[in-house]
Amino acid sequence: MSIENQTFTEKHDLLGCIQCGRCTGGCPVTVRAGLNVRQFVNNAYDEEKLDELARLTEIWDCTACHTCAVRCPKGLKPLEVLIGLRAMIVESGKVEPTVRDALQSVLLEGNPWEKPRAARTDWMEGLDVKVAEEGQEVDNLFFVCCTIAYDPRVQVMAKNMVKLLNKTGIDYAFLPEDESCCGSEVFTIGEEGLFEMLVEDNTEFLNQFNAGRIVALSPHCYTTYNTYFPDLKSPVIHYTQLLDELVEEEKLTWDKELPKKIVYHDPCYLGKQSGIYDEPRRLLKSIPGVELLEFERCRERSLCCEGGGGKMWIESQSTAERLAETRIKDAKELGAEIVAAACPFCILTLEDAMKSLGYEEEMRVAEITELLGELADS
Amino acid sequence: MKSFVCIKYVPDTSEAEVKVNPDGKTVDDSRFSYDINDADNYAVEESVLIKEDKGGEVDVLSIGPKQSEVMIRMALAKGCDRATRIEDERIAGHDPLIIARVLAGALKDQEFDLVFTGCMAADDGHMSTGVALAEELGVNHASMVKEVEVLDGKVKAHRELEGGLMEVVELELPAVLTIQTGINEPRYAPIRGIRQAQKKELNVKSLDDLGLDPAEVSFDASGIILENLYIPEVESAAEFIEGEPDEKAEKLASILVKGGLV
Repeated sequence: MSIENQTFTEKHDLLGCIQCGRCTGGCPVTVRAGLNVRQFVNNAYDEEKLDELARLTEIWDCTACHTCAVRCPKGLKPLEVLIGLRAMIVESGKVEPTVRDALQSVLLEGNPWEKPRAARTDWMEGLDVKVAEEGQEVDNLFFVCCTIAYDPRVQVMAKNMVKLLNKTGIDYAFLPEDESCCGSEVFTIGEEGLFEMLVEDNTEFLNQFNAGRIVALSPHCYTTYNTYFPDLKSPVIHYTQLLDELVEEEKLTWDKELPKKIVYHDPCYLGKQSGIYDEPRRLLKSIPGVELLEFERCRERSLCCEGGGGKMWIESQSTAERLAETRIKDAKELGAEIVAAACPFCILTLEDAMKSLGYEEEMRVAEITELLGELADS
Repeated sequence: MKSFVCIKYVPDTSEAEVKVNPDGKTVDDSRFSYDINDADNYAVEESVLIKEDKGGEVDVLSIGPKQSEVMIRMALAKGCDRATRIEDERIAGHDPLIIARVLAGALKDQEFDLVFTGCMAADDGHMSTGVALAEELGVNHASMVKEVEVLDGKVKAHRELEGGLMEVVELELPAVLTIQTGINEPRYAPIRGIRQAQKKELNVKSLDDLGLDPAEVSFDASGIILENLYIPEVESAAEFIEGEPDEKAEKLASILVKGGLV
């Protein structure tokens, strides 16, 4: 056995796997694309098979939802075997052009969307927003996320957050345009070198601010900072935790009603990976008139929307029904008028699914900040 | 096989609004992001593919600022062997013929089989540098190349012409090829590769280092005088001609005659 293979085997603790099959049994992508993660874990023992395994297109089907890791009785992370195989392809440079462009954009512009860094805070235009300055003390320092900063569909999350914060009078500031990608998708795509660089650079950058805590708008940034950034000086929370706190303290109250049936979709990065299930639900329940429904597959069993794991930049070869479509159909069957989520990727994938199913007239996909921001409008 | 690949650091104007500065001769680049020129990226890949197939070396040549070194390092990470970056504010950068003269100056004492350039720069769109470079060097060239076959002492180049026609030409080496996008699939330069490429040679040279007379490549030497830059006004004069084919033809003919176009 070569040192190289020992490293792969040891790195992913392949010898710890007992091949019980719970990973594949729970994997939502298995149903849609035939990905069999248990088989990959088994076959990756064989050093001679690694190159061959890395060339299989299924390795790009994984959405990094972490269901396999949650279910593994040995505490392993089977998905990271797939990420390790992806890393081999990334190192060779032979990735799909869309993945290549996203990674290169992270290096050059600090975001995977091929947008200029100079435009990162354009969403702030016309808003009364406080921008953080190095060294200045701030209780709540907001990290916006690349997708929210640039995607016109979800920019509303940041804009509404400003509206809500200004209502409460709490001390806050948003990061200036030097904010860079947290590396969540870079990590799952398998660009290990770039991810290491982001950990180093972002730690140094964020530590320049004297923040009581960092508030991440996206669960992807939130989980990534909490999992892979050991040297951050400030604790990182998700915005639902902050807003839940503000509602509890009655610093945020709602004058309007929203008499709607809402079903909450647990984002994988917020729920399965970080255990935040109750705060988003409490926020929705705090809205007068809301009837909160539950999916049959909720909380740690929540069905992945397929937005993570770098899937925004690589399409599955499977033509089977998208998981987001399954989710929207389930919501319709429940009689939900609004499908709410607390993640920009979930919103983009679920809304696409809703539109492609033709349910636009009867249903709405909304981020929690969207609903709360509308209530805050006078 | 010894090759050179010439690359340019250009702004990506697809996302940012282009604004002309008050001087009327420059563009506000404060909100642009910069990267390798698209066609040059394909030229880098082609040069590396040929090196991987036939052996040899590839040198990167670029005229640009210090910031462009990230682009040069990426090319080195992809498999190019060494690089020269030329920086000298006396160079009339707006004139492709002058650029070609500087590049030729950098190549004059070098032995090479092939020089690759992109077929067009995304910023000024002149499509002239590669062809002018061949003229300056006194070697053969083929432009808009979509496929390259290296033969013994020759190269077969498939040129993409208007309407999608392909012309196949055979050139004696040495030669300059201007590469069209789509000839290959440029690879990704992983960060670890870029870091390793830090060890590769990257020389920075001025006109004096190259032994070039600044007077020959200066703004005064340029035959192109930049008078004024402006954003073309958007005009919306479109007329839809309705009716049966005969009527449409008659109406169209009448418009063309009235307009003095036929």
